[in-house]
Amino acid sequence: MKVLKITPAELDALMQQWQKQYVVFVPASGKSAAVSPDCAPGWKRMEAGSAPLFLPVGPTPASVKAFYFPQPETLLTYTLDNNHPDKALMRESLKPEAMQVVVGVRPCDAGSVALNNLPYSEDPHFQANRRRTALVGFTCDTMLSTCFCRQMGGSPMAQEGLDLALSRTEDSFLVTVVNEKGASLLAGLDLTVAGEAELSALAVRRQEMAASDSAQLATLKAAELGRLYDAPQWQALGDSCINCGACTFICPTCYCFDIQDEVVWGQGRRIRYWDSCMFPLYSLHTSGHNPRGKKVQRTRNRFLHKLKYFPDRFGPFSCVGCGRCVQDCPVNIDIREVMNDLTNDLTNLTALE
Amino acid sequence: MTTVNEKIGEEIRVQARKMLAEGAVVAVIGYGVGSLPMTARPMVARRPEDCDKLIWSSFCVLNLANYLPEVLKSVEPPHGPRDPKPPEDSLPRVAVLATGCWSRNIVVQIQEHQVARTRVVVMGVGSRGMVSRRKVESLFPGKEILRVEEGDHDLVIHGADFTETINRWSVVRDNCQTCTHPDPVLVDVRIGDPVSERKNPKPFKQVEEIERLSVDDRWAWFTTEFSTCIRCYACRNACPLCYCPTCFVDDDKPQWVGKSLDTVDTGLFHLLRAYHCAGRCTDCGTCETVCPMGINMRMLTKKLNKDVLNLYGLEAGMQPDAPLPLTTYTLDDPQKFIVTEAPSAKEGE
Amino acid sequence: MTDQNDNWEPKIIAFLCNWCSYAGADLAGVSRFQYPPNIRIVRVPCSGRVSENMIMSTLKSGADGILVSGCHPGDCHYISGNYFARRRFALLSNLLDFVGIEPGRVNFSWVSASEGEQFASVVQSVTEKVRALGPASRLVKKLDAAQAA
Repeated sequence: MKVLKITPAELDALMQQWQKQYVVFVPASGKSAAVSPDCAPGWKRMEAGSAPLFLPVGPTPASVKAFYFPQPETLLTYTLDNNHPDKALMRESLKPEAMQVVVGVRPCDAGSVALNNLPYSEDPHFQANRRRTALVGFTCDTMLSTCFCRQMGGSPMAQEGLDLALSRTEDSFLVTVVNEKGASLLAGLDLTVAGEAELSALAVRRQEMAASDSAQLATLKAAELGRLYDAPQWQALGDSCINCGACTFICPTCYCFDIQDEVVWGQGRRIRYWDSCMFPLYSLHTSGHNPRGKKVQRTRNRFLHKLKYFPDRFGPFSCVGCGRCVQDCPVNIDIREVMNDLTNDLTNLTALE
Repeated sequence: MTTVNEKIGEEIRVQARKMLAEGAVVAVIGYGVGSLPMTARPMVARRPEDCDKLIWSSFCVLNLANYLPEVLKSVEPPHGPRDPKPPEDSLPRVAVLATGCWSRNIVVQIQEHQVARTRVVVMGVGSRGMVSRRKVESLFPGKEILRVEEGDHDLVIHGADFTETINRWSVVRDNCQTCTHPDPVLVDVRIGDPVSERKNPKPFKQVEEIERLSVDDRWAWFTTEFSTCIRCYACRNACPLCYCPTCFVDDDKPQWVGKSLDTVDTGLFHLLRAYHCAGRCTDCGTCETVCPMGINMRMLTKKLNKDVLNLYGLEAGMQPDAPLPLTTYTLDDPQKFIVTEAPSAKEGE
Repeated sequence: MTDQNDNWEPKIIAFLCNWCSYAGADLAGVSRFQYPPNIRIVRVPCSGRVSENMIMSTLKSGADGILVSGCHPGDCHYISGNYFARRRFALLSNLLDFVGIEPGRVNFSWVSASEGEQFASVVQSVTEKVRALGPASRLVKKLDAAQAA
């Protein structure tokens, strides 16, 4: 992979140039977040001559999933106008084609795109968004105490899923051109190639920050988690949980949706918007029966989906360790504790046998 | 030296353990230690040994009344939907910790028949104001807070490379700073010492600031404030007033509110949510505290509280046997807002 | 749509109680009192039936103005429906004003079955107010041009 050098000033200039060619998004700081036209809360469109990039320590306020899986996404449109020849005819809505560049992505979020791509591999909407989105990421210099990407098999220095990966050096950035899309973002730019010393320093940092020993993951993966379906800890979690959707909505790897029609003045659209397994409505049957009618069942489902059902079906765990849910859960439910408890329970079970 | 909150915590553990051991209650709703600095995790103690985990701190920000109806239901012996409901006094009782606003929410739940008075044991704690984690974090931009020690009047904040002492009251949540009834109105078991009513000259200061703006500026404030909503409904689910089996946002025939994130949909959701709390809200501030996007939705309910107090002289949840402000009326309620055209109709007011 | 039109006429949705205001509107018609044709009447059993959800979703659907009218206090067919409604409407109209909905968009009035003339003048006054405000845009749901068919 080609590694180049770029100074902060050059980076600013480059972003201004992107802004002229593409739609560029940067993390929003404060209340100024533009929401409605872009359906990506927590991000804002970069405007000409705007201030330099604001990059918080740790994950950005909102994950990048909204660029692939907008809240909401219009699937079909139709008219109910009686005089219209195409009355009630559902048409696929026009998808924006313009390339969007998201700047300021952290490695954990970049990793989430590949995970979401597993269930959505045949979804035309997700795939179209994936084609038109380029991620320009920054590896993490510092981790927050809530970050656990290394525990989940990721790394704060990882580049997977990014198109361009920037790593800070003393006075500038090293840009790793991860793929063709990344290269196209730098087309026509004359940047110096990173020297040997810098490259080896980067390699060392990457080595130091590699995924930690994942004995826990191995235990969780090898074991039959279904045996803990009735473990008492779920009751405690269910007692604390208030069944809001905060964790699932800020989670980069939660991807459930619901579909609804909206009609305004005879013009209709069918939208797909985020849903959450925490809501009772999520699993409510038409008959009125709800297989997950109790809070504890819904809470358990969220964790078992991330740690069992998803891996059973697709392989990897459905968590990148960004720690957003740990930070923002109104009742402080901590997925790291849940995983520790499960691992302990499994170890005890095995010891008993 | 033990702080006031530590003493309260000890008393909670003793009382809770006693009640569970004696069988006076089958569950105690309280707070346990959180996994992050400045958090506390709501928990339900069901066995005497669980009570060791109970704590009390300045970070018990979620209104525990929210859990009460559900916990009460969960301890009832199973019965089908068509079976006659067993008499209330034969059903097991539940204890719950309650500060001023939480106890007022329990009163509202009693008034609205969500909770039977005889089944609740209110462990009343005078509130010294809960600390806003967000306010503390905003004092240390770009730095991570790793540990917080709580004194009676100070907080000692530890980060990786700094230690600072800050005044506790300066970071207490806005709603607690402007609270007039910090002591519980309903007490079965008193924990700690009662706190006096705060002499508060300006409980509606923030609302009045917005009221002074022009119509267009108020609209601009409203649309900006609610623009970041992601519709996670944390505000709704954390609210002890929200117990409808089907919320109006989940209705789809008719669809009262759209599901998307445009200003109209988020605005309507927040307006209607706040309005449904009119005359019932006790300004516990939970909605605002739990919002992952930091939206100040409490201004809407506070405005309604102000009007209910000014127009009808009532505050929610102060008396269990009085009706709620919107379930009663007087013959001469103010009606300045009524359009009257004929001169003869200029009555009332 | 209407708002691009120079000849814009306000569209006002009127929720009228069956026992007083609806009969008042009827009387206005029978007595040939003139009033602007901008209102679309929705007959409801009582002004107490008109919920905040109905008012807000009417705004959302693009009504330029709303009029809710019931029996005078003391005259309710159901004894007290309009007293409860009065409290709820007072709070709602203050809340709408608080978030910047122009005063005059959402109106409340009492019109009895014998007040045909007053009904006409209330409609006249509400229509003038809404006309002066122009087409509604706040809390009106619009689908983007790209999203509409």
